[in-house]
Formats: sequence, C-alpha cells, structure tokens
Amino acid sequence: MIARLSVLFLALAVVAAHAAAQTTPLLSPPAAFDRATIRRGAQWFAQYCLSCHSVKWIRYDRLTRDLGFSKDAVRQELMFPGGAHFAQGMVPTLSARDAAAWFGVAPPDLTLEARLRGGAWIYTYLRSFYFDPTRPSGWNNHLFPDAAMPNVLAPISGIRDAKGRLIQRGRLTPRQVNQVIGAITVWLEYTSDPSKLERERLGPYVIGFALLLSVVAYLMKRAYWREVS
Amino acid sequence: MGRLTAWVDRRFPFSALVRTSMTEYYAPKNFNFWYFFGSLALFVFAAQIISGILLLAHYQPSAKAAFNSVQTIMYDVKWGWLVRYIHTTGASLFFIVIYLHMLRGYLYGSFKRPRELLWLVGVALYVCLMGEAYFGYVLPFGNMSYWGGEVITSIIAAIPYLGDWLASVLRGSFGVGTPTLTRFVAFHAVLLPALLAVLILTHLLALHEVGSNNPDGVEIREHLDARGRPVDGIPFHPYYTVKDMFGVGVFLVVFCAIVFYAPTFHGLFIETYNFSPANPLKTPPDVTPAWYLAPYYAMLRAVPNKAVGIGILFAAIIAPFLLPWLDYSPVKSSRYRPVYRWMVIAFALTLLALGWIGMQPATPALLLPARIFLALYFLFFLSLPLVSRLEPTRPVPQRISAS
Amino acid sequence: MTAQAHPLAAHAGRRRFLTLATAILGAVGTAYVIVPLVETLEPDASVKAAAATTVALVPIEPGMQVTVPWQDKPLIVVNRTPEMLATLPAVEPLLRDPSCAVPQQPPACRNRFRSLKPQWLVMVRVCTHLCCTPLYKPRKGSVGPRWLGGFHCPCHGSLYDLSGRVFKGVPAPRNMAIPVYHFSEDEKQITVTAMYPESKLC
Repeated sequence: MIARLSVLFLALAVVAAHAAAQTTPLLSPPAAFDRATIRRGAQWFAQYCLSCHSVKWIRYDRLTRDLGFSKDAVRQELMFPGGAHFAQGMVPTLSARDAAAWFGVAPPDLTLEARLRGGAWIYTYLRSFYFDPTRPSGWNNHLFPDAAMPNVLAPISGIRDAKGRLIQRGRLTPRQVNQVIGAITVWLEYTSDPSKLERERLGPYVIGFALLLSVVAYLMKRAYWREVS
Repeated sequence: MGRLTAWVDRRFPFSALVRTSMTEYYAPKNFNFWYFFGSLALFVFAAQIISGILLLAHYQPSAKAAFNSVQTIMYDVKWGWLVRYIHTTGASLFFIVIYLHMLRGYLYGSFKRPRELLWLVGVALYVCLMGEAYFGYVLPFGNMSYWGGEVITSIIAAIPYLGDWLASVLRGSFGVGTPTLTRFVAFHAVLLPALLAVLILTHLLALHEVGSNNPDGVEIREHLDARGRPVDGIPFHPYYTVKDMFGVGVFLVVFCAIVFYAPTFHGLFIETYNFSPANPLKTPPDVTPAWYLAPYYAMLRAVPNKAVGIGILFAAIIAPFLLPWLDYSPVKSSRYRPVYRWMVIAFALTLLALGWIGMQPATPALLLPARIFLALYFLFFLSLPLVSRLEPTRPVPQRISAS
Repeated sequence: MTAQAHPLAAHAGRRRFLTLATAILGAVGTAYVIVPLVETLEPDASVKAAAATTVALVPIEPGMQVTVPWQDKPLIVVNRTPEMLATLPAVEPLLRDPSCAVPQQPPACRNRFRSLKPQWLVMVRVCTHLCCTPLYKPRKGSVGPRWLGGFHCPCHGSLYDLSGRVFKGVPAPRNMAIPVYHFSEDEKQITVTAMYPESKLC
C-alpha cells in the first residue's frame, strides 16, 4: 500500500512537472486502473478506434486471461466479423497503406502510446478536439495542433468550436463522455504494460516474502553475533 | 559426507579454499552499513547474468527485429516482463550499489597502502561496468538506444588519430544498425561479462591477500593473539555470511518493490522515449543519458570545445585510478581526518549535482553551475596531495575502537 | 564448522533453529524464482499463434500432393483419386498395422483412409524410423514392379501405402502421424490445429 501510494505520489509529481511545461494543461482521467474499467475501455476502443488503430501486441486470447472476458464476449464485442484470429494481435482490417492514403499518415499502433505520452496526455488529447473548417478533415486539436486524426467520438461527444462552445449535442452528456474517454485511456494504459495487473496481484506476496526473509535473517544474524564483543 | 570431502580434497583444494577464504579469513569486527555493498554487488551481478541469459534466449540483434523481439519478451513470453524488469532494475541498482561501495572506499581510505591494487582493479571493474551498461542500453533499439548509440560512438570518433577508425570498428557500419547490434551483443553478453567475472575474482583474491580495511582504518593483522589470529578479527563465515544474508534480504525488498510497482522508475530505469522504435531521422525531444552516466554527460556539455570536452571526460574517468598516489596522509579513515571528511562529502554532493544537471535539458542557465561543479570534481583530486600533507589529523587508535 | 563450542546450549539451539529457518526460506524462495525463470523458455504466444495453419483445397488437383511447412514439419494434403483409394484394401495383408490400432491418428481418422473424408489425406510426412521425409510415389511400379503407390523413404527404404500406413519388413515401426484438423463449412479449406497428442513422429 505504501509502495503504491509513494508510486502514485511520484507519478503525480511527474505529471505535474510535465503539465507545468505544457501550454495546454493536462487533465487526469476520471477512471481507476481496474479490470472493469479496462473492459469498458476495450469495448469503446473496439467500437471507435480499432477500425484504424492497431494494438498489435495485445492478442485477443490474453483478454480472456487478463480481463475476465469470456471467449464469446471477445468474439462478439471486440473482434471484427471475419478476418481476425483469436490468437493474433488486435489489428484493424483497414490496411496501413489505405489509411496513409486517407489520412496523410498511417494511424500509429497504440499499444505503447500510454508509455510514450502518458495517460493524462491521451485523455486530454481526446477531449481537445474542435471544429475547424480550415482543416481538410474539418477537425483540429488544442493539444496536438493540426492532428491528422478526426474526432471519431463526435457522435457521442457532440461538436465543439475552438472556444469550447457546444455547436451540436452528442448522444451522451459531457460527464459520460469524460468517463468513456477515461476508460479508453485506462485501456491504453493496460495495453502499454499488461504486466501491471499481474505485478500488482503478486507484489504484496513477493515483498512480504522478502520482508519475512529479512526478519528471520536478522534474528539469525543477532543469534550469531551475540558472542562477538 | 566426510569421505566425499576427503576424496575431493585429495584432488582439489576444496576444504583449503573454504578455510582460507571463509572460515579462517578474518575480517574486522566493526564493519558497518557501508560494508553491505560488496556482497550486494556480487548478488546483482549473478542476477544480471541469469536474467541476461534468459533475455538472450529471445533477443534478435538486428535493426529490424531488435525492438520487436523486446516487445515479444514483454507481451508474448511467459514471465518475460519479470525477467526484463529484473534486468533493467538490476542494471540501475548495480550502479547504486557500486557507487555506495566506492564511496565507502573514499570514506575509509580503502585505496591506501597496501590496498592500491585492490582499488585499481575495483575502478577497472567500474569502467567495465559502464561499458557493459552502454552496450546493453543500445540493444533494445528504442529511439533512446539509437541516439545514445550515435552520441557515444561519435564521442569515440573525436579521439585524436585513432578515433574515426575506433568508431567505425564499434559501429561496423556508417551509422548504428544491424552490424552494430550484432557486435554489441557479443560485447554485452560475452566479452564484458567474462572480463567482469575475471576482474571480480581478481578483486576478491587481492582483498583476501591484504585483508579488509574497516571504518577505523587500522590494520587488524598488526595485533595477533597467541594462535596468530587477529584479536579484532572474526571469521568471515559464519559472522559476515549471516550478516550479508540479512543485507540481501533488505536489498530484495527494495528490488522487488521497484520490479513490481515502479519498473520504469518514471523514465529513470527505462527511458520513456525507448518505448518508440529507433528512428534515424528523428531525435527524441531531449536526449538525456542513463542516470548513472549523467555526471559525465554534464561534464561533456560544460566544455565549449569538442576535443577538450572529451579530454575532460577521459580525465574524469582516469582520476580515481590515481587516488592512491594523490593522497599522502598516513591516516586512512576519514573519521580521523576532519578536512578530508568534508572533502569526500562535498565530492559526493558534486557528483549528485552533476548527475542532476546531466539529466536536465541542455539550457544555458545550467552552464555556469555545471562548470563550477566540474571544477569542484577535479579540485578534489588536485588538492588532495596538498591537503593530505597539511591536514591536522586526530589520533588514530591502536586497535579497533569499541563499536 | 566454527560455532560448535558455545557454553549456552539453549542459545545454540536457537541459532540452529534460525539457521534452518533461513535456509528453508531461502530454498523456497529460490524455487519460486526458478520456476517462472525456466518457464520463460517455453514456446511464446507468437509461436503458439502460428501453431494452426489453413490450406485451400480448391487448387489441389486429383492425384496431386501439396506440402506446406507447419510447426517446422512438412504437412501434406493429398487429393486421392478413386483408383488410388482402391489400392488401400489390396495392400492390407502386407501392412504392419492395417487397422491403425496404434494411436497415430485422432480417433475420427481411425479408418482405412486415415482421414475425415476418404478423398483427402492430411498427414505429417515424417518417416517414423529416423525422421526423414519420405517421397510421394503415387505411380504404379515407380518403386518396385508390384508397387501400387504410396510413400518411399529415401534414407533407409521404409515404405508406406497411400494412407501413410507402414509396410511389414521395413525399418519404420509405425504409421505416419495424422494431425488434428477440420474442414471449413464450405469444405473448400482445411485448418490443421495441432499434432494429435498420442501420436509419435519418429
């Protein structure tokens, strides 16, 4: 717990330091790193992102082991009909060459994105889209100006102008949208290091064992050293 | 058991080795906190060898495959993340342990007569470890690996006369690519580990020849009992083996806490930009070195001339080798040397400051502090001949003082 | 070795106990570390993902054999003609294991054709003698004057019929292995998923 807290504290400090250096302040996602949130994030991701972006290092079958999805749920909710193989990585049906032709750049693989940019960056980025008629896609982004990516979440988030005013309402309330984006962020944090779930499960036992070993070794040392004057 | 030992002993000096290096090797009884780090360094070395062999079983040294093979280890290999995190955490903790071990040598004058050779081998070990770390840093072939590889090979290229040839021999190509990775694997996984193992053995043999120093800096072998054993010495086994076992336990707690809760240590142990593949056309926003090499990097940047900067860098690495011949004081331990004591503390802080500066983005604001600390680094070594002659020392006890 | 002569017996007992406790903890800890470390050497997920292969049947003409590399072994699919199938009962008196009693094939393939559908032979073409790759010899008389078609191993002369069943009097001990496979719904392709666990290659 203390280890976790201190890590959290350090992470906050790092985020704060980064935030101070950014022109657009980074927001922290309103979502916890737990299986339920990651599962929701995976579903939103499959629905809105996976048609262009791969997370190629994540194989579908590991989602059943890591996240508690049933095999059928993975097939129905995450995999595209036809094409994808259960033991293969999550790769869109859209080919990288077609995508490059449409967007100007190939949509990057997002497996490691959260490691590179951090969760707060992803969360803020997805919230920073605005309508910009001067751009070919009609979209621009406060955090990443002239991004090639359109605001794929517009159907649920609605459309905002550069000043943040809502031009057109989406299907969900702003609060719900933030939770969706938060869940997608947590999902990408999971994909960037799936070992985190396992590490946090095993950590207390491993550290507890090391502590026990230290205590017993210390008692042994004292028993031997009693005779050293 | 007794018969087996006897059988072996007629053919190999097993019992004799155990006696001379463990049960009848007498170590001073007043070892303190600082004396844990030698055995811990040996422990981390073993952990690095084991985890390294397992990583090598999956790693593919080519510009195209290297980054992906590391991701395979992280995503597809059962427990692959554990082995990689042990190796990355081990690398950084190796340096922490070695730095503390060396600081102990500075504090208690462990480099002084008769331990000059022990010290020289130790500093050589440290230099080899830096090489080992550098080659290992390049292997995952993330973007920091690539640019780290570029920068260091260009430093080598700036050596007069031989530089260009040396750099081409290191890279094996025009830039850092597949030929570089294949030879770096050979250096990282074969050449330097073998060299380190030989040097560690030499270091231990030299230690057992001259005997361990101690916080008081007095020679325990000058006071023997009737049976010829040092009065203030205790057998290394069992007393220090059980004590070191406790040290390993505490070290494991720290090690596991990092491996399980903060394996990248916020970009210090695994650099953030190394999670994107090597890209020869795009330098990461700020190229900062691994933390353990940061002080040297700060020195390099503090000098406005390439050749001089690299000269300073080599001088900084060579300076500790000369320590036994720069310090004339008859007193070993800083406990009885009030001026030297503060010099060592200032020296350690100087290195910390240089390390911090080395990890900051290159901005003019840090230039002056970097130069001041660079001067302080060399001032420690340059002033030592004078200080050690003039310094008023406190009386050194004949024997180890009560602990 | 050093600590035998201590005056306090109770103290020595405590010391022995604590030494033993540390040793046991150390051994248990080491065992728990060794297991995952050795497990890293198991085939990884990318290898397992490549374990299955799919072969299109449409381009395979009657009498033709297609070889695909599968799990580092030559996997063959043979489109057997009715004439070829007719040779199978004829050679049975000469075979070592004509009824396929040795589990060298999944139960569903334990028949004269050693296949799910008589026409299609799906087999790992590895000789059960010493792992050579037998040659596909479908033509009558191509190996000997009374040869009706089958497989001939060039290394040590082992002979198999067109179902991969081994003849008597050759070095190879068993029939060649049939893997686990299934047809697609339109029957235009087969997917080979695994080696049949009880079968032995060589």
